[in-house]
Amino acid sequence: MEHSSFLSFVGDHLSQFLSYTAFANFTIGHGIMMIIGLIFIYLAIAREYEPLLLVPIGFGILIGNIPFFPGLKVGIYESGSVLNYLYFGVLQGLYPPLIFLGIGAMTDFSALISNPKLILIGAAAQLGIFGAYGISMALGFTAAESGAIAIIGGADGPTAIFLSSKLAPDLMGAIAISAYSYMALVPVIQPPIMRLLTTNKERLIKMKAPRAVSHREKINFPIAGLILTCFIVPTGLPLLGMLFFGNLLKESGVTKRLADTAKGPLIDIVTILIGLTVGASTQATTFLTSKSIGIFVLGATSFIIATTGGILFVKFFNLFLAEGKKINPLIGNSGVSAVPDSARVSQVVGQEYDKSNHLLMHAMGPNVAGVIGSAVAAGIMLGLLY
Amino acid sequence: MLVALLLPATLLINAQSALDLRINEFLVENDSNYIDDFGQHSPWVEFYNTAYNTVNMGGLYLTNDLNNPKMYMIPKGDPITAIAPRCFLVFWADGKSEYGIRHLNFNLKDSKIIALFDADGKTLIDKIEVGNIHKKDITYGRVHDGSNQWSYLEKSTPGSSNFTGTVVTPAEKFGQMDPSGTGMAVIAMAVVFSALALLYIFFKQSGKIQSGKSKLFNRANKKEVTTAPISEASGEVNAAIATALYLYRNQLHDHENTIITIQKVARSYSPWSSKIYGVMNNWPTKTR
Repeated sequence: MEHSSFLSFVGDHLSQFLSYTAFANFTIGHGIMMIIGLIFIYLAIAREYEPLLLVPIGFGILIGNIPFFPGLKVGIYESGSVLNYLYFGVLQGLYPPLIFLGIGAMTDFSALISNPKLILIGAAAQLGIFGAYGISMALGFTAAESGAIAIIGGADGPTAIFLSSKLAPDLMGAIAISAYSYMALVPVIQPPIMRLLTTNKERLIKMKAPRAVSHREKINFPIAGLILTCFIVPTGLPLLGMLFFGNLLKESGVTKRLADTAKGPLIDIVTILIGLTVGASTQATTFLTSKSIGIFVLGATSFIIATTGGILFVKFFNLFLAEGKKINPLIGNSGVSAVPDSARVSQVVGQEYDKSNHLLMHAMGPNVAGVIGSAVAAGIMLGLLY
Repeated sequence: MLVALLLPATLLINAQSALDLRINEFLVENDSNYIDDFGQHSPWVEFYNTAYNTVNMGGLYLTNDLNNPKMYMIPKGDPITAIAPRCFLVFWADGKSEYGIRHLNFNLKDSKIIALFDADGKTLIDKIEVGNIHKKDITYGRVHDGSNQWSYLEKSTPGSSNFTGTVVTPAEKFGQMDPSGTGMAVIAMAVVFSALALLYIFFKQSGKIQSGKSKLFNRANKKEVTTAPISEASGEVNAAIATALYLYRNQLHDHENTIITIQKVARSYSPWSSKIYGVMNNWPTKTR
């Protein structure tokens, strides 16, 4: 008798344990998400598409989609779980400014300072953000959701996370994944648009080598940049403040240790945390919705509009520039802030038509201006919609 | 110099502190309105924290007589006196301070005014005349929390917002006014272009100044070049300069000549590179 009750005790607990396993809680949605995670990891390792981002995000998707029995403080959305604590930095918009600090500390703005008119290309490419805003409004998203979705067009992951954490926290996972996916796909998305919108003659334009930038100018840049942009858009302060601060650490020449930390260990730690938690936030139950699909479509649209806006702006700008001072429109795509990927695309496409035409340094100008531009755009969205 | 800069700044900047507190709503004749924690209908007054940080009312003074600003000091150290950002705290002006820290030692029925003073007992934070505002069970308050417009309120809202209508968020308002997103595109692009155009103008001008300077430097350099043309330097001189630069940059030796310095080579310990425990070191040696 005692023996049988012990067996039933073991049996009951075994079946209870089985109900806790991932096998018992597995759904097709989890399977789909895990496949997406594996694709991300594959793209990162085999194709080397943004590996520093896609490996943590891809693995985070796997972590977030291991099915579990709710209530055990395991999931990222369960209060008190470890993942939930780590996710706090995403939810409260803590990680993106820290990443911007690192970006500032590792970015050389010389290309921009030496040829300031390239800044305007960075502004023109933000058209993608506001174009996508209108389309998402037409598709039935609310104004706040549209703002959060549209920022994908800025091609800036931290900015997208920062803004969506304020305007549409429910959509943050989809927006972040979409933003990073398209950033990784910059070499695939942009070249056809660049070829389509430019003539052969335009592609062969050779630009003057940028002038040397003095140390004093480099120090002035973050200080003037902060004051000039944040006086207009104070809501962009968390991102722009940290970006310019990081750059001052780099350029001042007297805070090498701080700059090294900001662009090294700090940004690495935050990248790991943001990538992993954003990936883990894509639990099938919250992620696989029609809205997420809409976000992916809108993300692609905003990317295309942004690239188009940048290139067309250069073509328009060239109408007013004297011969010899014209800008190669192939750097127009770099107005999106995927640094340095979109600048690299300018270089690669430019080289296809003229091996001696090196556009990389010229493209870095609008590229870093795009970082500033997207942060300013996020600030505007926040100011108008929050 | 620094003081001269800071002084006007302190006058202009609106610090987020006790000065952000406002008397927001009150009721003098409480007949069948809000009941206190002792089950009694007492006059009450509500305070609103207009700041975006928590403000603690502990240590501040409440009074119904401007000549006696320190009539009731709100006790310090009780967490209940901390008002969260954009939130409210209600006090019972019933003259029964023995009931607890939220019960004042004066009664609103006998008062013509109610005032809030800072912890120094001198700085008036806010005051409101209550003498003639005696409608039974109808509260008097700011139409919108913290605003300057006062009125009898349709609903009594002790501890919550005076505005009881549907709140339309800025995003909803924007969406209703601009359903196509054209307005957003125009405004936002104008702002983005303005911000970056400012940067453009600034750096274009600073670049001009810089290039002007470099022209001057170039002239100076040219003069130097004319006095000592490179072509005059022999190959040996160039080699000597290059060697000196190379040695200087790599710091191959000390400044003292004719002294050989043996510098310690620091290597972190690793069992894989240990000279003590290396496999070869412990290999049995042949003895003859």
